[in-house]
Amino acid sequence: MTAPILQVQNLTRRFGGLVAVNDVSFELDPGEIVGLIGPNGAGKTTLFNVLTGIYPPSAGQILLRGAPSGGLKPHKIAARGMTKTFQNVALFMESSVLDNVVTGGLLKNTLPEARKKARAILERVGLASIADKKAGDLSFPERARVEVARALCTEPDILLLDEVMAALTPAEMEDVITLVRSLRDEGITFVVVEHHMKAVMKLCERLLVLNFGELIADGTPTDIAQNDRVIEAYLGSSFAKKRQHQAPEVLA
Amino acid sequence: MTRFFYPSLAVVAVTVMSLLPLTLDPQGYEIRILCIAMLFAALGQAWNIVGGLANQISLGHAAYFGIGAYTSTILLRLFSLSPWLGGILGMVLAVLFALLLSVPTVRLKGHYFALATLGAGEAMRVIANSWASVTGGPVGISVPYSRESSLWMMQFPTVLPNYYLFLIALVIICLVFWKIQTGALGFRLRAIKENEQAAEVIGVDTYRAKLIASTVSAAITAFMGTLYAQFQFFFDPDTVFGVATISVKMALIAILGGVGTLLGPLLGAAFIIPMEEFANSYFGASVAGLSQFAYGVILVVIILINPRGLVALIGQIKNRIFSKGGSQ
Repeated sequence: MTAPILQVQNLTRRFGGLVAVNDVSFELDPGEIVGLIGPNGAGKTTLFNVLTGIYPPSAGQILLRGAPSGGLKPHKIAARGMTKTFQNVALFMESSVLDNVVTGGLLKNTLPEARKKARAILERVGLASIADKKAGDLSFPERARVEVARALCTEPDILLLDEVMAALTPAEMEDVITLVRSLRDEGITFVVVEHHMKAVMKLCERLLVLNFGELIADGTPTDIAQNDRVIEAYLGSSFAKKRQHQAPEVLA
Repeated sequence: MTRFFYPSLAVVAVTVMSLLPLTLDPQGYEIRILCIAMLFAALGQAWNIVGGLANQISLGHAAYFGIGAYTSTILLRLFSLSPWLGGILGMVLAVLFALLLSVPTVRLKGHYFALATLGAGEAMRVIANSWASVTGGPVGISVPYSRESSLWMMQFPTVLPNYYLFLIALVIICLVFWKIQTGALGFRLRAIKENEQAAEVIGVDTYRAKLIASTVSAAITAFMGTLYAQFQFFFDPDTVFGVATISVKMALIAILGGVGTLLGPLLGAAFIIPMEEFANSYFGASVAGLSQFAYGVILVVIILINPRGLVALIGQIKNRIFSKGGSQ
């Protein structure tokens, strides 16, 4: 048994009267690929934002490799090895693709080293040919890949991917899945938010399900697909009762 | 274009600027205009470090300029301290003021940051006007004049040595800007400019980067204040702590020239300072206020043609010429 790399204990985040993340607890083992799913507005992105320090938690604990990281500034959490990509893509639009990735590399490297590293990463994620293009001139799928490259260049132990497969073709999704798997084999732990269920089921070995800010399920994809609370959250309670004893294909 | 184009251009420019004053009357009007133009090019470049690279639009840089001018002049009057040492002390005070100012302003963006810094500069002007026992108040303060020429005391019989001091300062400040722009700090500042939240998440200590940039900018601005004091020999709070005379002009020169670029403040100052003088001498005598009006109209026209300033405008023209012969 290895020690968990991330422990989230009773994490809560409120915005005024709205509880966006409600008493969520889970652990991540090193090298896991975990999917975080749930209906729109379930709190997935907010959970990512609290984990990476964009919002401080309202209550609860986050332990990153055993050390509390809740309430630290994002750059401190990045330095401790956890970063994320942005769902709505937050690149440095006026800068080149290479410079975007280099900026991530500066977290743990000098500028010349960061340049070398950034080039290697661009090569790996298949963006080398557009390294000198301005980020603002790219297509949405390209931008999402630059997000991944920039995050990778910070040399994270845990990478939170927020819908990087949105708007990808099935072939491109396949590329991302292969990339994530090979990066996992090098020791990176992933949490993936994705709406495309087939891709999630294929990529992830374990799923966390959020609904109205609460964690309603934590298990293997097959377990989750048969979980009543999950079916209820996605399809409504009447559907869940009707299909109580059948495995719904909707999720599989 | 080879990689040696810009370095050789710089060498040629510095050589021309070094030889140019030898053809001018060392006490004349033209050499003084050139001095003022270099002063403001240097100030614009100092502003460019925070305003240009990180897009922290400061309208309070006069605070640092005035601190530099007053610190060296007061110490020179009281203790006959060399303006070099007084200037260094002024830099230290300006850095302290920048650190103090960063506490309430570092999290502010856009208009809010501009307004807060504007207020800080104005506060310094009011203090200098009221604290007459130290600053001389609204009457102004003069640098004690000695007849002998001394580099140590920054006193010269002609303007020529001042010219070279401004030129050396400008070259050094351009090198500092270039080092920052092309170095790791430049990447961090541009990241802050383009998306501060994303910069934090990928590990940029945005607070620290902004703090380093603003203290470097403050220190440079303060030393230029000392050079200005030793060049003018007389100034008052409304001049060195002025919004229009210093703060806005610094920003304007960088913005009009091309914000965030090395060449921007140089082009901006080379354009604005002579134009201002021209407007003053041609319209100033006939109708009061007409020169300011003419000056304003020209600025508006340039910004309308290209909001990114003269550097972008030149780029546009260059592209138009070269693109006729094929792409790239």
